[in-house]
Parts: sequence; C-alpha cells; structure tokens
Amino acid sequence: MKGSTLIKIASQSILKNKMRTMLTMLGIVIGVGAVIVMVAIGQGAQSQIQDQINSLGTNMIVVTPGSSRQGGVSRGAQTYNRLTIKDAEKIKRESLFVSAVSPVVFSRTQVIGGQGNWRTTINGVSTDYQIIRNWDLKYGRFFDQSELRQMRRVMVLGHTVAENLFPEEDPVGLTVQVRNVPVEIIGVLEPKGQTASGNDQDDVVFAPYTTVQTRLSGWSRIFQILASTPSSRDVPAAQEEIRLIMRESHGISRFAEDGFTVRNQNDLAETEQGTTEVMTMLLAAIASISLLVGGIGIMNIMLVSVTERTREIGIRMAIGARGRDVMTQFLVESIVMSLLGGLIGVGIGFAGSSILSQLTGWNTVTSPTTVMIALAFSAGVGIFFGFYPARKAAALNPIQALRHE
Amino acid sequence: MHHETVMRTEGLTKVYTMGKTEVHALQGINLSVDRGEMIAIVGASGSGKSTLMNIIGCLDYPTSGTYHLDGVQLQNLSRNQLADIRNSKIGFVFQGFNLLARTSALENVELPLLYDRSRQKIAIRKTAEEALERVGLGDRMDHEPNELSGGQQQRVAIARALVTNPSILLADEPTGNLDTKTSVEVLTLFQELHDQGMTVLLITHESDVANCTQRIIELRDGKIVVDKRIEPVKAHMTTVTDESEETTPAFT
Repeated sequence: MKGSTLIKIASQSILKNKMRTMLTMLGIVIGVGAVIVMVAIGQGAQSQIQDQINSLGTNMIVVTPGSSRQGGVSRGAQTYNRLTIKDAEKIKRESLFVSAVSPVVFSRTQVIGGQGNWRTTINGVSTDYQIIRNWDLKYGRFFDQSELRQMRRVMVLGHTVAENLFPEEDPVGLTVQVRNVPVEIIGVLEPKGQTASGNDQDDVVFAPYTTVQTRLSGWSRIFQILASTPSSRDVPAAQEEIRLIMRESHGISRFAEDGFTVRNQNDLAETEQGTTEVMTMLLAAIASISLLVGGIGIMNIMLVSVTERTREIGIRMAIGARGRDVMTQFLVESIVMSLLGGLIGVGIGFAGSSILSQLTGWNTVTSPTTVMIALAFSAGVGIFFGFYPARKAAALNPIQALRHE
Repeated sequence: MHHETVMRTEGLTKVYTMGKTEVHALQGINLSVDRGEMIAIVGASGSGKSTLMNIIGCLDYPTSGTYHLDGVQLQNLSRNQLADIRNSKIGFVFQGFNLLARTSALENVELPLLYDRSRQKIAIRKTAEEALERVGLGDRMDHEPNELSGGQQQRVAIARALVTNPSILLADEPTGNLDTKTSVEVLTLFQELHDQGMTVLLITHESDVANCTQRIIELRDGKIVVDKRIEPVKAHMTTVTDESEETTPAFT
C-alpha cells in the first residue's frame, strides 16, 4: 500500500474519533510544549551568560597575581610576585600574538559633580583598554597616549555613573571632583549591562592608570593585566607566550611555580556555563517525563482502539490486508497522532516561551534544533508506544476478528 | 459447452481440538465447482458450513486434503500469501454486511484495491465507481453505511466483493439480515452477476435462497450428503405465488 494511502486511512480513523484523539494528543502536546519551554529557559540563560562573556571583551586574556604555595600551604593570592607596569610593557613589546595590553588599577571612591555624588570604582587603564573590552563610546572620546604620558586629569564615565550624575545630559567637557581633585569628563561609554554574577559593568569610571596611581589614589599596585589577540584562534598561544614572558620578567627559576595566573574568558565562563547546562538538562528531563506519560496515553488509547475495531481489522484481513498492512495502519495512526500533538506542542511551547519571557523578563531561546529534536522525540514516542498495540492488531485471527461483536 | 473447473477440493478435513476432545468439523469434502456456476451450500448449524466457507475463503487452513483455486494449489501457503489470494481471487459477502462505519460507500468499495499488490497502477476510484454502478448504487456513492438501507448496504458489500474481479463470490447468509423484499432484490442481483459469468457460492439455510441456484450441496456432520443440480427459480417473494414466473435456465 502506498504511503499516502496509509496516511489517508490513518487520518480518517483519527478524525472519526475527534474528542478521543484530542485528549490523547493533549498528553503529547503538554509534553512537547513543556520540553520546549524548559529548554528555551535553559538556553536563554546560557545565551545570556554567553552575551555577558562576550561583553567582557573580545579574546580577552587576564593576568592576575597568582597564589603561591610553600610546603603545601597556600599563602593566598597576591602574596607573591606583584604585577608591574614593566610586565605590561614587556608583554606589549615582546608578544607576537597579543595586539593590545592594559594594566588595571582599581580604586573605590566617590565622584562628586552634576546631580550630587556617586560612589563607584575608578579603573586606571591604558589606551588599549577600550580595544580589549571592545567598548564603544556614547559621547566624547577615550583618552589618548599623550594624556596617559602626561598623567592628565581626564575621565571616561561608565553609563550608570553618567546616568546618576548627569541624567539625560551629555557631560563631556564638565568637571567632577575625585578626592578633591577636579577631573575633566572626556567621554561616556555605551552600556554593557550586568555580568553573570550580577555586577553592574557600567558602574565604573576610567582614567589613565598614571593619573590614578599618582593623583587620584596614591595606590600603585596593579591588580591585573588585560590583553587581547586579534583572533580567538590565537588566544591559547598568546596565553602560553604571556606566561613565558612573565616568568622571564619575574626571573622565576625553572622549577618554581608561576606565581601568577593567565586565564582567558572561556576559563572564566566554563564554570557558569556548566551550571546552566546542568540546569537545562534537568529541566528538559523533568519535562520529558510528561512526554513519557503522554506516550503511555497513546499506547492506552491504541490498545482500546484495537479491541474496539477488531471487526474492522477482520474485515480488512478478509478482503486481503496482510498482517503487516494492519500493523502499519495502526503504527501510522499512533505516529500521526503523536506527531500532530508534537507540532501543536511546538506551537504552544513557542507561545509559552514568549509569554513567559514577557511576564518574568527571563531570556528564552527557541532554536530550530530544539523543534527538530522535540518532533523526532514525539514521533519516536508514537513508534515506541504504538508498536505493541499495532502488533497485537496484526496478530489477530481473521475468523475470530470477524465474529467479534 | 466448455466446463472449466474454478475450484476443487479433495479429501478436505478439519479437526478442532477443544481441550481433550477433537471435533471433526469436516470429514473428507470432495467438491468441484465450474466457472460460472451458482451453488448453494446448505446444512443445519454445526454441519460444517462455516468451516468449509472459511477454508474455501482462505481464512483458515484445512487439517488435511487438497484445495485448488483458479489453478493455484493452496497447500503450505503463508498468512501473507493467503491474504493476497483473498484479495485477488475471493469476494466475500457477509450476513452482517461488514462495511466500515463512517466510511463512504465508495471508500468501502475502494478498500480491496488499496490492498492489491499484484496489479500495476489501476484507476482505483474509477474501478470502484464502476462496481457501485454495477450493483445499482451509482447515485449513493458518497453515502455512509448508516445512511443506507440494509439492502443498499448489502449491495455496497457485493460491489466491494466484485471490485477486484474475483474468481469466486463467497456469500455467507447474504439475506439473513434482510426483509423478504430486499432479500429478493439481493438474490436477483446475485443471479444477474451469475448470468454475467460470475461464480457464486451461497452459504444459506433457507431453501428459498437455495432454490435460486443451479446446484445445491447439503452438508451434514462435516460430509456432503446431497449434491444435486436443479432448475433455478427466479428470486421472488414467497408470499406471492406467481405460476407464470418464468424460470430462466442459466447455463452459459
């Protein structure tokens, strides 16, 4: 029998029992819908994290003073091997892979001006910082090399700081006070949003590290050195290169530990990515249980259907249907039913995801892959749970089936 | 006159085992049917009629004996092969019509053609329409069984049996569920088909029905006790005694 005929016969008998078909499909609809929504939430969280990691900057490598150990006892971070401006300069000068390097000096302080005052973090960085973080300006410009050399009192505001001190206003050219030192605002950065751990990346101001070290904090220690490569392919090589340059710069003997850490964004991201992946799997697994229950519903109805239509099976066999024809008919019926339920479930899953993200503000991602997997899964459910009833139908004795009332 | 044997059984037996007792439903049936014959198989219930019909209809296997149908030896065939033979060589008409509910007359008649794997591409719809026109239901094709009278339903069933152009038409009490008037209509239809050359086997316990055929075979306790040729009477209402009714000899 032709495939189209089979599907026609299956659709006919499905349509003959509309109410029952609908209720049976409901199980699959809910199952597939739930899987889609749950995976959408999980993938939404993952993509949010990915976005945040990308917003940290492209191909960024972070060098931090590492922990050192003595006789197995950790002495904690930054107890050893301080980072220096020389390290940053050496990396910039000697590295083949790295295109931008910036030391970072932090200082937590108050900025006064405009609408009042705002407590934030001053980052002392070099001109490369903007390239490393891939951060565009909303107003004005970033400071340049000569301003860095001359320790100029200039500052670029993060979006949050600008919003709080100068709401709906371009503050470029105005002056703010930092530790009683007047500083000119030369630019405002575009917003980057929160990090995965909830820190506001825009609650920050940037100044030349020379200015921060000498005029604004008197604090000269470098907390980290950021570097970036033009291509993400070069990141691992650049990491190793930086490690060797740092060892040389610090005169670390051959068998001693590094005393600093060189990490890239992926290292930073892996932990959080891993957590959300587990969460996605868990959500999908829980949702799959309802799909399983839906499948059992299909099996139940197909068994009832085989019993109820025993005479029909007898008639079909008497006029020449092979056992295989009968089996295929029932199998196609259960597949059509579960696939149709799956399709409706996909629709409901999509609608549900978008409603959910509107109501809760969660990020949800629905991908074609999820849809394909959900549909394949529902067809699989149809085959798996339809097989036993279909085989039962095919094995009927035509004489007894014809006599069945 | 050329007589071609369309089916032949030799020493056909069927033994059912029910617990420890064996029931000999058929005990050596030798039966030969020519193409174009119209035969009634009669007998009381328990005589083996149904068992014989099931075996002739390829729904069941005999315990022993041989059975030839239209040149095919039906020993040792698989379930699938029997299904194909039912499809191509046998047309069933049942007492209870056995149409698929909520399925139009046309779709019911198309059904055997859908399971046909021997023939190449045929116009399924057109063939089914022709079969329905042949039984006089050309104007009822889209009706579902519950929209048709008993007589019309049985005619749909006959069209379904005819549509594959089978070697024999096997009718099991075809008028059992019908009133006298429609019984006559259905029997007349069988006689017309017979006149057109169809081989018809009627299983019945009504002598009125049997008398419409050319040959009556009576079974008793699984054996053929009577096998006689008669002059068929034209199907008629038993309540109406019409002597002038002419009997057409139906030899071809």
